[in-house]
Amino acid sequence: MVDVNKLRETAKEVISREDVRELIGYRPGTYGFRARPAFVMGPDEAGELIFTPACVNNLASYIVLEEKLPVKRGEEPDLRKVAVMVKGCDSRALVQQMEEKAYERDRILVLGIPCTGVVDMAKVEARFPNILELGEIALEGDRFVLSFNGTKEEVAKEELLADKCKRCRYPTPLVYDELLDSEVERFADDDYSDVEEMEKRAAEDKWAYWEEKFSRCIRCYSCRNVCPMCYCEDCVLDRLQPQWMRRSVDISENTAYHISRAYHLAGRCIQCGECQRVCPVDIPLMELNRKFYKDVEELYDYEPGTNVENPPLLSTFKVEDREDFIM
Amino acid sequence: MAEKNEDFEPNIVAFLCNWCSYAGADLAGTSRIQYPSNVRVIRVMCSGRVNPLFVMNALQQGADGVLISGCHPGDCHYMQGNYYARRRFNLMRNFLEYLGVEPARVRMSWVSASEGAKWKEVIEEVTNGVKEVGPMDQFKRRQLNW
Amino acid sequence: MAVQKLSKDKVAEALGELCKFRLIAPAKSDDVVVFKRIDDPAEAYLEYGNSTIPPKKFAFPQTETLFRFIKGSPELTEANVEEEGTTVIFGLRPCDARAMAIVDKLFAWDYDDPYYLKRRELTTLVGMACIEPPSVNCFCTSLGGSPFGTEGLDILLTDMGDYYLVQAFTDKGKKLEKTLSSQLEDGSAGDEKKAKEMALASEGKIRRSIDTDGVPEKLPDLWDNELWQKVSAACLGCGICTFLCPTCHCFDIQDEVEEGEGRRCRMWDSCMFSEYTVHASGHNPRPTRKERTRNRVNHKYSYYPGRFDVIACVGCGRCINLCPVNIDILDILEQVVDA
Repeated sequence: MVDVNKLRETAKEVISREDVRELIGYRPGTYGFRARPAFVMGPDEAGELIFTPACVNNLASYIVLEEKLPVKRGEEPDLRKVAVMVKGCDSRALVQQMEEKAYERDRILVLGIPCTGVVDMAKVEARFPNILELGEIALEGDRFVLSFNGTKEEVAKEELLADKCKRCRYPTPLVYDELLDSEVERFADDDYSDVEEMEKRAAEDKWAYWEEKFSRCIRCYSCRNVCPMCYCEDCVLDRLQPQWMRRSVDISENTAYHISRAYHLAGRCIQCGECQRVCPVDIPLMELNRKFYKDVEELYDYEPGTNVENPPLLSTFKVEDREDFIM
Repeated sequence: MAEKNEDFEPNIVAFLCNWCSYAGADLAGTSRIQYPSNVRVIRVMCSGRVNPLFVMNALQQGADGVLISGCHPGDCHYMQGNYYARRRFNLMRNFLEYLGVEPARVRMSWVSASEGAKWKEVIEEVTNGVKEVGPMDQFKRRQLNW
Repeated sequence: MAVQKLSKDKVAEALGELCKFRLIAPAKSDDVVVFKRIDDPAEAYLEYGNSTIPPKKFAFPQTETLFRFIKGSPELTEANVEEEGTTVIFGLRPCDARAMAIVDKLFAWDYDDPYYLKRRELTTLVGMACIEPPSVNCFCTSLGGSPFGTEGLDILLTDMGDYYLVQAFTDKGKKLEKTLSSQLEDGSAGDEKKAKEMALASEGKIRRSIDTDGVPEKLPDLWDNELWQKVSAACLGCGICTFLCPTCHCFDIQDEVEEGEGRRCRMWDSCMFSEYTVHASGHNPRPTRKERTRNRVNHKYSYYPGRFDVIACVGCGRCINLCPVNIDILDILEQVVDA
């Protein structure tokens, strides 16, 4: 567990540095067990920072989400660093962004959090519904301890752990300037059993499954906006000329949307699971991303977001790439 | 799902590279080789120019099958366009299969400018494959509610 | 007219009877509850808290055709809403019904929107009182609503254990009661009294609140306040808060063409998207999420009451529950009050 005092002290130090503009971390949410992103602009604000298993957001998204206004005449652009707190999975988003040359390494200052797993807030709220007063979640051994309303409840880690954490290969950040705790041993691996199960189904069954899921989509684009890898300034989904996806919401356009979204993450998705977490209608988006993730690993021996030196998967090739599907 | 219909004549959209496959198809024509007329050709400069979204969009707009054809590896007029295409479509094809779109609908081939006969074989195979799986009805733009 | 009651044994039968109309009821797929067209009473799922997506789309569809056209022909075929037929929305929560009453004001304002108003005319709203507030973030009582509120409803059902108390308030509601006359029985005055007590008890269980007095007047003065930067810093710019809001009603109009035929249609739009205000020149008068968040709050709590004397928020709590980054409208309003 990250020591909160150490975290706050480090943050205070970092935000006091002249070359750091802001620090993105976590702070308690507005109700129940929620935590929310914090944007610390000065040393006096560092005191509210936390890190608990409730800190689910991938803050790497904010590095690329910033909407910059044009610099006014006579003013200089603010080139100071942005400091960001990242878990293992989130750090891979930074690696992948830098692999794609989204920005230079010296633009960010990374506070790494060796992570032992975060909760799935939906599971927590299903188990402990209607908690308004701020509660706290801590991991003690193999149990989550939830404190709220003056009581304490213990739940086996497995029961509340987010699904992505059960497959996590990189609990310790892959890139950091400062590590806030000692490294965490890898405690899980990915066997793609869920993807394989779907692959075995008949075409009709697969489509029936996805048709039901896609028809629920309301195209709020939260899955796109939350994604740390979706940072095109001019998204293909927003274009009107040519208009790849119509704005009308029906099974055809929704499917087109989901194909495009998932395909654009082929060889880029780093499995942080944010898209699925934010979906208001519970579309299992990670099942789409994981298909690509599995194929990319099996066909091209490539794992996104693990090495800044790797060239992006689809802008490179090997002469000996598989071509048994070609006539 | 797909009704098996003996009379079903599929629409197949083929994206052919200018330098090899288009010339190959042209050779098939000038050599008077007969092949199924279900294919609608769209000429592009290179198979590497084919955006995977073209495939999706063609299927949405009413294609029952899509073929992407380019130069053999090593023969690309632009040195490496077909290598990129190969990666892209391997992933796209697998993904569409994962969603329940039969792999027979999305095919890729290498046809050189001298392979008029191969072009005929490819088109026959693709057409028969699509006939086998029937009309594309998963996410065609349906004019429901229109 | 005496109050009526509907025995729970007869709910399926009553729903079966209503299936002759276009019946909309809550249904569950996976863990998501949404309102949808029901043809079989077994599909209805009435033991729900509140639906993820409000039933507003049955008056104001996410995508709807306004008219169709054919290439080369000057003729337009207008959409005929009448064809959709009489609609019964069964089991919606009082907040969502109240939201429809609020949005009605806009669609009948300077220009009568024929599509929306026709649909509303054809729709009967059968509400389901909240015995327990469905969510920890409910705050309807702060905005003039109530878990047993009747504004906008034609009929209110109250779960009394073995049966539902049925109270009709409008002509449409009474007409629907007649349709169900063979399923309904006479209720007693005691039931009504008990329902009133339950209403009070339920209101007492609503735990979040905000004092909105003076907020509409105060908001314009806070235009340049630094609070907007703070509350919007985490915003991702997605459409969850607006698409899931029962009172949000912005739309975009587009033409869609297919093989010589086309249609003009309108679809939901969200002020949280950057596309929403971007000009053809590329200039965007709301260039960042700060301006967009400010607009969302101002629209609900200042512009709308300025025009229609009612705040365009019913306190259903959806935007709080489902915001991916825990942006909380009550938190924002508290900062507005304190500013």
